[in-house]
Amino acid sequence: MLEVKDLTFRYPDTETTWRFTFQVDHGQCIALNGPSGSGKSTLLNLLAGFLTPESGSIHWEGRLLNELPPWDRPVTSLFQEHNLFEHLDVQTNIGLGMHPGLKLSAEQKQAISRGLASVGIAGFESRMPGDLSGGQRQRVALLRALLRDQPILLLDEPLTGLDAEARTQLRSLLLRHKAAGKVLVLASHDAEDRKILADKQLNL
Amino acid sequence: MRQSPFGATQAPFSHPGWQIGPGLLIAASLLALTIAGVAALLWQAHLPEVSELWQNRYLSNVIQFTVWQATLSTLLSLALGLVIALALVRQPRFPGRNLLLRMMELSLVLPTIVAVSGLVGVFGRHGWLTSVIEHWTTVRWNLYGLNGIVLAHVFFNAPLAGRILLQALESVPAPRRRVASQLGLTGWWLWRTLDWPAVRRVLPGIAALVFTLCFTSFAIVMTLGGGPASTTLEVAIYQSLRFEFDFGRAALLAIVQLAICGAIWLLMVRRGLSANLSAQRSFSESILRPDSQGITRFRDIVLLLCFTLFLLLPLAAILFRGLPGLVTVAVDGGNPLADLGHATLRSFAIALPAGAFSVLSALLVLALAGRGGSHLARLSSVATAVPLMVPPIVLGTGLFLLLRPSLGHSSQGLVLVALINGLMALPFVTQLLKGPLTGLDQATAQQADQLGLLGWYRWRWLHWPRLKRPLALAMAYGTGLSLGDFGVIALFGTPGQPTVPVLLYQQLGSYRLELAAGTALWLVTLLLLVFAAFNLPGYRRKQRRHQPDALKTLAEARHA
Repeated sequence: MLEVKDLTFRYPDTETTWRFTFQVDHGQCIALNGPSGSGKSTLLNLLAGFLTPESGSIHWEGRLLNELPPWDRPVTSLFQEHNLFEHLDVQTNIGLGMHPGLKLSAEQKQAISRGLASVGIAGFESRMPGDLSGGQRQRVALLRALLRDQPILLLDEPLTGLDAEARTQLRSLLLRHKAAGKVLVLASHDAEDRKILADKQLNL
Repeated sequence: MRQSPFGATQAPFSHPGWQIGPGLLIAASLLALTIAGVAALLWQAHLPEVSELWQNRYLSNVIQFTVWQATLSTLLSLALGLVIALALVRQPRFPGRNLLLRMMELSLVLPTIVAVSGLVGVFGRHGWLTSVIEHWTTVRWNLYGLNGIVLAHVFFNAPLAGRILLQALESVPAPRRRVASQLGLTGWWLWRTLDWPAVRRVLPGIAALVFTLCFTSFAIVMTLGGGPASTTLEVAIYQSLRFEFDFGRAALLAIVQLAICGAIWLLMVRRGLSANLSAQRSFSESILRPDSQGITRFRDIVLLLCFTLFLLLPLAAILFRGLPGLVTVAVDGGNPLADLGHATLRSFAIALPAGAFSVLSALLVLALAGRGGSHLARLSSVATAVPLMVPPIVLGTGLFLLLRPSLGHSSQGLVLVALINGLMALPFVTQLLKGPLTGLDQATAQQADQLGLLGWYRWRWLHWPRLKRPLALAMAYGTGLSLGDFGVIALFGTPGQPTVPVLLYQQLGSYRLELAAGTALWLVTLLLLVFAAFNLPGYRRKQRRHQPDALKTLAEARHA
């Protein structure tokens, strides 16, 4: 279970202090509701370890995450854009999620090829991100998140700007991910995304 | 290899100590070396009375002339650089634009002593242009003295200033340029709203850089000075050390030079004006300016053509005058060929380690800045700017005095030359590597952090692909600057074992002009070979694979 308790944060030189408390179980998705500037991305960055809270706690399976750096946390982030390293090809981008030194077994390489086929971009291993459409890039990023196999997926407007077909396909991938027992924390302005994916809502 | 609490693999060398330790060591060593050199000046030499500076007519003249020629050279270089940059901005489709930009780059890496021989070929007593002018007009002019020194400084520094100013002018956001175009702003108002705000940011930094380069100029004054009336501090220090053996006077003059250059650069570092002095190739959108048509267009084109000729003619002179000499040396063989061969090997024995030292030092010190924290960033900034504050002759003098008792073998002197040459290249090499190494955007950095791309893996997957070409270019610059050095080597080298620039100087001094022209051309050829050797492999790779635009970086080179 992911448990966030009295987590507070304030940007330097500002008055507003954010405060967050919620819990999410395995196989659940929590949607963060609120207008722009209400703290959705701030919360995701706190969970990922990109920001340091003033007080409060983040626990995963009873273990305190606050002091852990981003690379030691059991999370993977998926943003609206800039999810891929532009100078590395698709296979390397995905492979780095499985091993940061890209020391991949033959089985892992096959998993990448199978994964690409399963998201509709078979044979794209050697393509560069700049050669892909927005939907294809998000599929690559999501595939990396799935193969990285971390239990918590942080989603910051992951489907914004995609066409209808790409949205449908990515939603079904996320649902499969959730069904496999992963925790999803979703920040999205899109009511339909929240309705389809979320099990609970957190109003900010 | 360590494992994270949730089983993720952790990278080799990912401990923060690996990122801070080596950089800290290098930065501290650079500062310690500089402080030791300066301290040696103060302690080992018996300083004469400070009042000698204004009571001794020769010394006061040297100081006044140094400041005067540097001020004049700076003002003229900035004025010409600005005029050329504005003309290039107004005329983005000028047919010779690319050639001119290339020439502006080349003049910066050209060894000073070689460029001087080219300038003599054009503007000297029997130079091409002088002959034409004297044939058609009553104007008589002498290249030697203030004329030649300022002309050579403008030849080197106007392109440097022009390129940085052009970059600044082209960095004006496209929407603002579109608005100015739509409103039809011209003249004063266009300058006031568009050009001046862009230029004023970089102008103090360029002025400081150009002033320091002219103030500490050595080879130009040595070859074009023409006598004691045109002696600068740097040359006076050299003469005190090499001919008069008056270490006290050398130390006093070195301290004056250090005080002036140090004060300028400390002010620049404190006010953050030294940042972004490297010119980068711009790919900005071309927007038609209201002031780019009619008579202005004609005037700009004439101006750009004249400037192209100003840069091109000395290079052509080097080629045409040097070719017969070089062919003669190659065909006749014998001593001249052997001398040239030995000098070439000696030059590379100094230049390659110097280049490697500057690149490695720059990488490690920049990694220190990348760790964040204002103290480390400031230490990194000061350590790499130190060679600009402390001119080579000052540092060389200090180290010379410090190591004099133990400098027994000439090869030890050459090691010192390589070390100081590497140090001198450091500010420019740092400028080349700074952007690609520290310019990771936040999204990429966060993504890499989350994936555990740290230490060796971060270098392998994020930095190396971005740094390959800048590293090769930096190595070429570091090596090239040392290859063309005729400052430090003049102090530590022995006449019997010359490098190529020293050989050239010796040939010029003994009026073996055909040989000298051949040696000058050979030095340029070596320089081009160095740039080709370091950059061609990277260029081919780039064509095979996509590379980010951030790699398209150029920097300037210090001319010794």
